[in-house]
Amino acid sequence: MKITDTIRRAGRSLRQAKARTLLTSLAIGVGAFTITLSLAGGQGGREYADAIVNSNTDVRELTVTKQVDESAAVAEYNEEGSGQASGPFAAAQGLEYINADDLKEIEKIDGVDRVTPNYAPAIDYITTEGQKKYQATVSTFTPSVTLTYAAGSVDGDLKDNEIILTEEYAKALGFTNFSDAIGKTVTIGATKLSSLYGVPVKEEFSFVVKGVSSASGLAFRSQSSLLVTNPAAEKIYTYINEGTPVYNKFFLVAVRVTDQNDAEAIKEILVKDGYDAQTAADVLGTVNTFINVLLGVLLGFGALAVLTSIFGIVNTQYISVLERTQQIGLMKALGMSRRDVGRLFKYEAAWIGFLGGAIGSGLALLAGTIANPYISEALGLEDISLLIFQPAQIIIVIVGLILVSVGAGILPARKASKLDPIEALRTE
Amino acid sequence: MIQVKHVTKTYGKKQNAFLALDDVSFSIPTGTTVAILGKSGSGKSTLMHAMSGLDRPEKGEVVIDGENILTLKPRQIDAFRASKMSFIFQSFFIQANETCYDNVSLPLEIAEVPLNERRAKVEAALAAVELSDKIRSKAKNLSGGQKQRLAIARAIVNQPKILFADEPTGNLDSVTGGVVEEFLFNYSKKNKATLIVVTHDPDLAKKCDAQIEIKDGKVAAIRGLKTGAKK
Repeated sequence: MKITDTIRRAGRSLRQAKARTLLTSLAIGVGAFTITLSLAGGQGGREYADAIVNSNTDVRELTVTKQVDESAAVAEYNEEGSGQASGPFAAAQGLEYINADDLKEIEKIDGVDRVTPNYAPAIDYITTEGQKKYQATVSTFTPSVTLTYAAGSVDGDLKDNEIILTEEYAKALGFTNFSDAIGKTVTIGATKLSSLYGVPVKEEFSFVVKGVSSASGLAFRSQSSLLVTNPAAEKIYTYINEGTPVYNKFFLVAVRVTDQNDAEAIKEILVKDGYDAQTAADVLGTVNTFINVLLGVLLGFGALAVLTSIFGIVNTQYISVLERTQQIGLMKALGMSRRDVGRLFKYEAAWIGFLGGAIGSGLALLAGTIANPYISEALGLEDISLLIFQPAQIIIVIVGLILVSVGAGILPARKASKLDPIEALRTE
Repeated sequence: MIQVKHVTKTYGKKQNAFLALDDVSFSIPTGTTVAILGKSGSGKSTLMHAMSGLDRPEKGEVVIDGENILTLKPRQIDAFRASKMSFIFQSFFIQANETCYDNVSLPLEIAEVPLNERRAKVEAALAAVELSDKIRSKAKNLSGGQKQRLAIARAIVNQPKILFADEPTGNLDSVTGGVVEEFLFNYSKKNKATLIVVTHDPDLAKKCDAQIEIKDGKVAAIRGLKTGAKK
C-alpha cells in the first residue's frame, strides 16, 4: 500500500471516531499548549533581558568591585579607625573599597580606555525658583544607556552644567508641561561632611534642564535618579566628601576598554589582581540563567502533560484495534501486508499527535497574542512583548509530538499487525 | 489451474489435536465454478483458508498456476492475494462509515494500482453490480442485498482470477440471494475467473460446474471435476 493511501485511510478512520480522536488529541494538546507558551515566554524573556542589558550597559564597560576577602569578613576593631570607610556602605562588613591608587593601577592595564568611579553624591535637595525643596539622588549619565524622553533629548553628550530630570521631578518642580522645563535652571543643594565643629557648610549647584526622561520598560536603574555628567557628579562628590575617610574610596568603578573583544581578557587580569569584574555578557548570562531555570520548570510541566497523553493514545489505539478487528482481518485477506497494517495504526497515532500539537500550539498562539498587550501593560513594558512565538519552534513542537504519538502507537500497531486474519474474520 | 495436493491441517496439540483437513486432494481448472459443500465444522472454511494462503497447513501443497503458494514468504503471499484473489464473506465485512467508492477502492490501494486508474475501475465494478448511483453513499445506508453487491464490487474491482465466496447468500433472503449469485456467476463467466463457493446450501451448489463435498476434514465426494489429484 502506498504511504499516501495509508495516511489518507488513517485520517479517515479517525474522522469516523471524531469525539474520541478529539479528546485524545486534546490531552496531547494540553502539553503542546504548555510547551509552546513556555518556549515563547523563554524566548521573550531572553530577548527582553537582552534589550534591557544592551540599553543599560556598554559592551565595552566592565563593572569592577574589589574582591571580598573572606577571612576579613569579620574585621578587627581598629582604635585609630582611619583605614575603615564610613558612609553609606560602612555597615557592610568585609567590603573593600577601590581607592585612588587602585584606580591608577587599573588605568595602567593595557587596553583600558578609561576608569570612571561611580560618583553617587548624596545631595540634600533639588529645587527651582519659587518651588519647594525635594530630596533626590544623582547618578552619572552614560551615553550608552538608552533613555526615552518625555521632553527634550540629549544628542551625543550632556554638558557639565546640564541635567536630565525624570517626569516625577519635573512635575514636582512645577513643570506641568514637560517641554516647559527644558532650558530652565534647577538648583542642587549639598552639605560638606567634613565641616568643622558640626557647623553646616552648604553650597548650591546650578544646572540647566536638558531633558525629561520618561519611564521605560527597558530601564534597569532606579527611575528616580537625576542624571548629570561624570565631571559634574565628581564636583559635587568632592565638595561633599573631601576630607572625610571615605573620600576617593569607591565601592564600584566602571572600566571602559578600548576594544570590546578585550573585555573578557581584561576581566581576567582584573580578577587576578584582586577585583571582581562583570561584563555586559556576564550580567546577561545571570539573567538568562534565571530565565532558563523558569523555562525548564514550565517545560517540565508540559512534558508531564505529554507523558500522560501517551497513555491516552495507547489506550485509544488499543480500543481502536479491538473495534476494527474485522476490518483488519479483511484488509489482510485482501493482501495487505503486516507492515502496512502496522503503519496504518502508526499513522493514525501520528494524526492524533499532529492534531493535538496543532490545536495546542494554535490555542497557545491565540492566547499569547491576545494576552501579550495585557501582560506588557501590567508589567509596564510598553511595546515590548514578553511572549515571542517563533514558527520554527512551533513546527518543532508539532513534529516532536507527532513522533511521540507514533512511539505511543507502536504497541497497538504491533497488535494489529499480528492479528490472525482467520480469527479476525470469524469474529461476529 | 488450482491443484490441492495432500493438504492436512491440525488444530490444537497432542491429546487435543483436531484434524480439520485430512489429506485433501483435487484440482480445479481455470474458469470453473466450484462449490465446496459441507456441514458446519466439516472443514470447508479451513480448506478455503488453505487454498488462499491465509492459513498454513502443515502438510501438502497448494499449486496455483504452477506455483506452490505455501512455500512463498508472507509478503509474497500477501502480494499474490492482492493481485490474483479476492473474497466475499457471509457478513459482507464492508466499512459501514465509508462511502461505496472508498470501500471498493481498498483492494486497488492495497495492490498499489496508480491513482489515475482507480476511478475507472471502481466505477466499472460498481456498474457491474448495478450500484453506480450509490458511489457517494455511505455503505451503512445500503440494504442487505446492496451491501453484498458492494462486497462483490470490492471483490471484483481488481479483476482477480480466483474469487472465493464464503456463504455469500447466507445472510440474504432467496430473492436478493438469487441476484447476488447471478452477479458472481456472471463475473466468473465473463472473465474466465475461477469461482469457489463455500456453502452448505445444496441449491447454490447445484448451480456450480462442480461440487466438492467435505465431511470430517476429508473429501467425501467430487462431482463435475474430471480428475482428483494423483494419490
